[in-house]
Amino acid sequence: MALVKIALAGEGGQGVQSVAEIIAEAAYNEEKQTIYIPNFGLEQRGGVSIAFIQVSDERIGAPKFNKADVVIALSERAVGRTAHYSDENTLFVYDSGFKVDENDLPRQAKKIIGLPAIDTANKELHPRVFNIIIMGAVIGLTNIVDFEAAKKALENKLGYKFEKNPDLRELNFKALELGKQMAEESLKEGGQ
Amino acid sequence: MQQVITESKKAFMTGNETAAWAALASGADVMFGYPITPQNEIMHYWTRLAPQYGRGFLQTEDEISAGFTVCGAVQSGKKAFTATAGPGNVLMQEPFGMAEGMRLPLLAIIQQRGGPSSGTVIYSQQEVALTTFGGNGEGWRIVYSTATHQEIYDYVIKGFNTAWKYRFPTFILGDGYQAKMREPLEMYDPETRGIKMVDTYPLIGLDGSITNAEREPQHLCNIYSLEEELYDVVLKNTAEYESISPEIVEYEERQCEDAEIIILSHGVVARAADDAVKALRAQGIKAGYFRPITLRPYPEKQLRAAIARSGAKKLLIAESAYGQFYRLTRQEIYGETIPMETLFMPGVGIIDYDIISKVKSIL
Repeated sequence: MALVKIALAGEGGQGVQSVAEIIAEAAYNEEKQTIYIPNFGLEQRGGVSIAFIQVSDERIGAPKFNKADVVIALSERAVGRTAHYSDENTLFVYDSGFKVDENDLPRQAKKIIGLPAIDTANKELHPRVFNIIIMGAVIGLTNIVDFEAAKKALENKLGYKFEKNPDLRELNFKALELGKQMAEESLKEGGQ
Repeated sequence: MQQVITESKKAFMTGNETAAWAALASGADVMFGYPITPQNEIMHYWTRLAPQYGRGFLQTEDEISAGFTVCGAVQSGKKAFTATAGPGNVLMQEPFGMAEGMRLPLLAIIQQRGGPSSGTVIYSQQEVALTTFGGNGEGWRIVYSTATHQEIYDYVIKGFNTAWKYRFPTFILGDGYQAKMREPLEMYDPETRGIKMVDTYPLIGLDGSITNAEREPQHLCNIYSLEEELYDVVLKNTAEYESISPEIVEYEERQCEDAEIIILSHGVVARAADDAVKALRAQGIKAGYFRPITLRPYPEKQLRAAIARSGAKKLLIAESAYGQFYRLTRQEIYGETIPMETLFMPGVGIIDYDIISKVKSIL
């Protein structure tokens, strides 16, 4: 597997870093080379939080990158903040419910994708699993980890909560599945 | 002391967590520290782990105190360490100077952040000058600049041994990226890899009476009455530092034999340099890779030899600082006539693309 670079960005509290960590752990558990690094500057204290993930079969070089294969912006202001990570090879993903200024969208992208993640979370599942839908979407877009490995990583991370409330397990796995499907559908559609 | 890691095991964790585990596996007795980003989690993990293994921790009132308490602990024979960054590293130069002067075997882990002053809490390679030659002394320090989590683990273990074997303060020079990123590594018990941990011993308060001439007195001085006394001590310690340097120097060299350009980097930037050399070679550009692992002592002879052997036309120095590593290198290889090009990106990361572009612009 060639190097895949992913930038996940959102607001503090959206669970961006937790999701990045779970994805990275899943990739590591599949014996892949993996690096995950959060941005942790002062902007993190009230700014956009970004997670940089890289997965490969080969040893990985620098921990950060200029251009990503997949950028996922989980808030309106994260769109403008991450546009510069996109080039002609990038899948740029944001929530289709956002009111986004055209100028904030990247000038270059392989494809700009709007996913109804927030709406789906709110209407079909629960707002708290929004980030898990996004995790599913990352897998759907990149195949960086096997779906079962992702479920296992989720179990490792949240198992203690699932034990207390088994419905949560169901809810999270469903969110993961929906996110994956949503992303796969979006890749099939032509244009942006 | 309780064995921490019975069987080698793979792990996926941050560099800070790695450093804490490595200190535990090294048999460190105690950490003294004061919080500062990006090294905080070394303290956090240590405070979580240490009580389980009967080790100690004290958070002092500031970095000056943290450094001096380490100086005190090692004199009592405890394997002690600290960790800091940025302005904390500045404050610790006073105790680090004492450790040089009194030949105290302390270990400090430095996770470089942006500077000057509070700079950023994120990343840089701007603490090279400070860590190698900070303080009001002659730089009797051993500084390992790591590039991977495996190296953080390996060199923390090695660093304790270096400190206690040679009795010079020893530094593990990382950075905010290494501190905060997660990547795989293998953790192990040093003894199972044939690494004998150097025994620690008290430097003062020894058995036997001096007045009855049962033993020589211990002279651990950081101040002298006479100029001539200090002069003799400085000459003696300098000579000792220079004599042990060949045993300590470490470096990596790849594909320099026929290189037209040698890319010189250290620490985490060396990962990008390694990728850049591979990419350039694939495009038919003869690039070589040279990386000092020890910045003090510097692999000066080895770098001179690599330049001579290759007949390279240029040296490119890449660093996340504005010339600290460049100036260090220049003084070490004084007299070499190879043109030195530079890629200075102070306080920001360098990726292979940056190096490749630079090489193409100067060849």
